[in-house]
Amino acid sequence: MSHVIAEPDQKAQIQLLNKQLTDIGQKQCSDAFTAIYNHFAGRVKSFLIGKGINDDTAEELMQEVMIAVWRRACTYDQSKAAASTWVFTIARNRRIDHLRGTPRVEIELEDSLLQLESDDIPAEQQVDILQDATRVHSAMATLPEDQHKVLHLSFFKGQSHGDIATRLGLPIGTVKSRIRLAMRSIRNTLHEQEEQV
Amino acid sequence: MNISHHLSDDTLQEYTAGALDPSLEVVIACHLTYCTSCRNRADMLDVTVGALLDTEQPTAVRTTALELIQKAQSLGEEQAQAEPPVSDVPRPLGRLLPAPLESLAWKRLAPGIKQYNLSNRHRKYGAFKLLHLAPGVVLSQHTHKDKELTLVLRGSYQDEIGRFKAGDVADLGDDVVHQPVVDTQEPCIALIATQSPVQFSGVMGKLMQPFVGF
Repeated sequence: MSHVIAEPDQKAQIQLLNKQLTDIGQKQCSDAFTAIYNHFAGRVKSFLIGKGINDDTAEELMQEVMIAVWRRACTYDQSKAAASTWVFTIARNRRIDHLRGTPRVEIELEDSLLQLESDDIPAEQQVDILQDATRVHSAMATLPEDQHKVLHLSFFKGQSHGDIATRLGLPIGTVKSRIRLAMRSIRNTLHEQEEQV
Repeated sequence: MNISHHLSDDTLQEYTAGALDPSLEVVIACHLTYCTSCRNRADMLDVTVGALLDTEQPTAVRTTALELIQKAQSLGEEQAQAEPPVSDVPRPLGRLLPAPLESLAWKRLAPGIKQYNLSNRHRKYGAFKLLHLAPGVVLSQHTHKDKELTLVLRGSYQDEIGRFKAGDVADLGDDVVHQPVVDTQEPCIALIATQSPVQFSGVMGKLMQPFVGF
């Protein structure tokens, strides 16, 4: 686990990216965009490669994603999402749209039927995006390699549980249980630390 | 809304990964519209993939940030999504319907059972439809082979697993044998999608097909 970064440093890094993304939206700040681009562009491209998407296409899609980041940054709210979460959702949807010609079907925030969290949740139970993102980052860094691998194949390569089983020569049940274990330990990290507060 | 039946971790994880058919995504997005608890779980998955993205090895890129800003400025406005037609169901489904639920052109399948198909594709690619069940209707007992999601929109039904009311989703795994019964005086309307390709298990499986998906 050599890639574990101390939690305060991780928090500071997440916070910095969130602020830079906010600055793009509020001030059309090209320095902030350069910083965000330098951090995310190559990683978004890595995310896009695979599933029949080659380097050239990935480059093209990456540019579209980063242009969307520049243009939609005014809708980014750092109290609702970490920068990495927000950028990922744009990249995911661009990939899905490219692969099948229709975007991912999602909830619509303007939907009159959208059920909202009740307002009377006490302040200490409300989601602290920065805190949660930091904890998830730490949890990911300590995941066993075999769990990390299936999460990566599923999330990054968009492979179904069946595809992953075939690729790794594992029973599908093993793939599913590794993913469940990984999700559980990430969730537990969030809950344990909440109890300690 | 008081939701008692939720999406499984597997389903939410594959939804996050973009590994599911659009029809299943519609069912999921409709349930997420109703269910804050599943929405929080889905959000946490997005945070997880964001964290993976942050630690991913970058691939070399061929352009600079400033070149992209210039390119962005030469492009026209982004198109906003059109407003969906007025509907009495969550928007991800409402966008696919020409009219409110009760005014749809329902097709009679059997006494007390009507359906409205949401897909023109051959059923071997997976079912995607609305079912309208009269009070007292009992479906024949069956199992599920493939990934299959059922979201109750109106009324309720009961089976071996429990009671499913509006907003509840049945996310059934393999080998679940059940026999749903519409258990109030109100018709039960449910949205159903199965992942393609459906694998039929011989003649019996084919005969069961009209009821697969519930």
